Amino acid sequence: MNRRTFLKDVALGGAALGAGSRLFGAFPAGQAAGPDLAVIQGESPAAITRAAIETLGGMAKFVGRGSVVVIKPNIGWDRTPEMAACTNPDVVKALVEMSLEAGAKKVTVMDNTTNQAQRCYVRSGIQAAAKAAGADVPFINPRRIKKMAIGGAWLKDWDVIQDFVECDVLINVPIAKHHSLCRVTLGMKNWLGAIGDPRNQLHQKIDEASVDLAAFFKPKLVVLDAYRILTRNGPQGGRPSDTKLLKTVAAGRDAAAVEALGATMFDINPPDLPLLKLAVERKLGRIDLEKLNIEKRTV
Amino acid sequence: MKKERSKKHRRLQLLRIAVQAFFLALFFYFLFGTHFTGQDYIGNVEVFFHFSPLLAAATFLASRTLVIFFGLAAITVLVTLILGRVACGWACPLGTIHQFFSWAFKKSKFLRPKKPAAGSLWVKYAVLAFVLVAALFSLNVAGYFDPITFLTRVSATSLVPAVSHGLQSVVGLAYAIKLEALADKLSQSVETLTLNATFQQGFAIGLIFLGFLLLNKWRERFWCRYVCPTGALLGLFGRLNLFKLKIDEAACTKCTLCSIHCPTQASPFPNDQWKSSECLYCETCAAICPTRAITFPVRFKQEKAPAVDFTRRRVVASSLLALFSVPFFRISKAGKRASEKLIRPPGSLPEPDFLRRCVKCGECMKACPTNGLQPVLAEAGPEGLWTPTLVPKIGYCEYYCSLCSQVCPTGAIRELSVPEKTTVKIGTAWINKNRCIPYFLGRPCIVCEEHCPVSPKAIKFIEVETKRPDGTTAVEKAPVIDVELCIGCGICENKCPVMDQPAIFVTSVGEARSKENQLLLQIRE
Repeated sequence: MNRRTFLKDVALGGAALGAGSRLFGAFPAGQAAGPDLAVIQGESPAAITRAAIETLGGMAKFVGRGSVVVIKPNIGWDRTPEMAACTNPDVVKALVEMSLEAGAKKVTVMDNTTNQAQRCYVRSGIQAAAKAAGADVPFINPRRIKKMAIGGAWLKDWDVIQDFVECDVLINVPIAKHHSLCRVTLGMKNWLGAIGDPRNQLHQKIDEASVDLAAFFKPKLVVLDAYRILTRNGPQGGRPSDTKLLKTVAAGRDAAAVEALGATMFDINPPDLPLLKLAVERKLGRIDLEKLNIEKRTV
Repeated sequence: MKKERSKKHRRLQLLRIAVQAFFLALFFYFLFGTHFTGQDYIGNVEVFFHFSPLLAAATFLASRTLVIFFGLAAITVLVTLILGRVACGWACPLGTIHQFFSWAFKKSKFLRPKKPAAGSLWVKYAVLAFVLVAALFSLNVAGYFDPITFLTRVSATSLVPAVSHGLQSVVGLAYAIKLEALADKLSQSVETLTLNATFQQGFAIGLIFLGFLLLNKWRERFWCRYVCPTGALLGLFGRLNLFKLKIDEAACTKCTLCSIHCPTQASPFPNDQWKSSECLYCETCAAICPTRAITFPVRFKQEKAPAVDFTRRRVVASSLLALFSVPFFRISKAGKRASEKLIRPPGSLPEPDFLRRCVKCGECMKACPTNGLQPVLAEAGPEGLWTPTLVPKIGYCEYYCSLCSQVCPTGAIRELSVPEKTTVKIGTAWINKNRCIPYFLGRPCIVCEEHCPVSPKAIKFIEVETKRPDGTTAVEKAPVIDVELCIGCGICENKCPVMDQPAIFVTSVGEARSKENQLLLQIRE
């Protein structure tokens, strides 16, 4: 069973949901034991990532033995980690290691970059880190992009990079960043890196597009890298002074909840973000943080 | 007398082929190394250029500046002074390619020389005189003829792109026949080599190269024999020619096979007609001689070699031709006023100095990670044909990259460190409000602002009221440009969702290298 058929089954509302949840771990949010969100602070990006996943019950809850895992960080920009434009490489590396420890057959890390792919892969540090941990880090192959039904409220179909669909477990690892159109990007917009062109046109309805894509890809796990966040001049920054060290990682099953928590890092009230309001309307998850079980720790 | 070919010279011939193959491989090794390899700084991949005495001389004459790297050309000159044109015969990669095709034409019987060729050899010396005299008057046309620039240019803008497209077809085929694992691997290696595959002049440049390859069907090593001014220059340097051709008159059967198969018409037979200035020491004559009559013994004594028919009259004529041609190159409007489309790579010298140095080799275009640097046709005037310009619709200038400036062999693009490069303004972005989505359609976009790499961003927002076609009014964030922050990298134009004619575009005005091509009063209060 791959993601595509799984999603189809869920859409049909069949009994597959029961089988699926056994196969893929707990789903949807709230059913599993343990907290809804893990928010871990600490000096080491790798250690806080590990702690966050362990707080959620360990990687085995998400990654079954022999499963094919795809990790989607933000590798969009030709920027080094201290610019906070791409996901922290140590966070990605920790997730690769944990997936393999949980028995994953194959772990792939990739992104459809904005700047030249090689430069982004190299200078973000993600290629080297993920490879060292045992992941495949391929470039986007234009021949593996196919038009698919997105089935969104607004986005009906679009070119999708097949690697993100042909897998058992999809993990979204965005970085918390300022963005002048969306105010902030905390996860759902990261899916613009899993699709083909002309994706720039999606800016004309960016929140709708992000939510539709998030509903389509439905990651098993969302790990928000807020070790170093970008507070202005987003989404690229350019100076270390555009960034702020929060030394935090937030993780959860519920993409909306993680995103809502991320909004608070920028002192934004979650319902003030149009994207989160849309996400709630589409029943993608919860943003009422005060009612969620959030475990905060420092390691 | 027993007929037997010389085994020794056959072995020397094979050694020569091996050495040629080595230098050809080395040339392409450096060429394929000319791209982003994961490091900010790449090594001396342009080293081949610096061994060309023609480029050294033309750059020196045209720019009146000594480019220190060209000191390496002294090695070529020194070797030639002692040994003759071995650089042409044993090392030159373009010569090797021409020789290979000549050989292929001979093997396939398309080329069947029956008697020694008698064509005039003076043309390449005339080309040389033209190039040098033109350089003296600051017109640098050496790059159109020098073999290293010729081969680099055609490889970068035509051969490698063709290989890239060919590989893409193979990848497609592999997918079609379900060899997906192989196809994935191939596709990834194509991506890793970053073969820039789009060049606006690539077809024409490739066609010229093809023409010269086909001319080998008519005469072996046609280019080296009749055209190459670098070879001509080395021919003039060849003085001592330590190894001198000697025909054992007693053994010689006067079959003239040696002269028939001499690839450069050096005329080994008769012995006193041997033109040492044309001989490449390829060993063909000695290896082909059926009676082992030809040897190359060491002789220090200089002999008076028969002159090539480059008479004093022709020297004067070709020099005069150059002299009177130079002004014609200057008629174009290029020297009068900057072209808005001529966006030179970061670090480029002011236009007149740039033209004096640029040899149109295409190294910068090969190195550019986005394929944005393209050979121009007319924007830079006739002497600027195939010089580089940034075409943002094809590729933008990558913010943290200074590769083009590192690989330029003549310093037409001044070498920049990456931090230095990020501050160099190569042009300015402009907005066409009639096409810009927020301005004209009243819809959100801001893709240009998102991609602007400088901090703080050169693209800012204003709120703009737009009447939509249905009469309603929209208020949207619309881009405005801070001209002083904009560096002209062109990523905004490249990423603009208005595909055919982007609503934001870069022109050369404001480029840091020019005093004239400016728009703002430079006096600050």
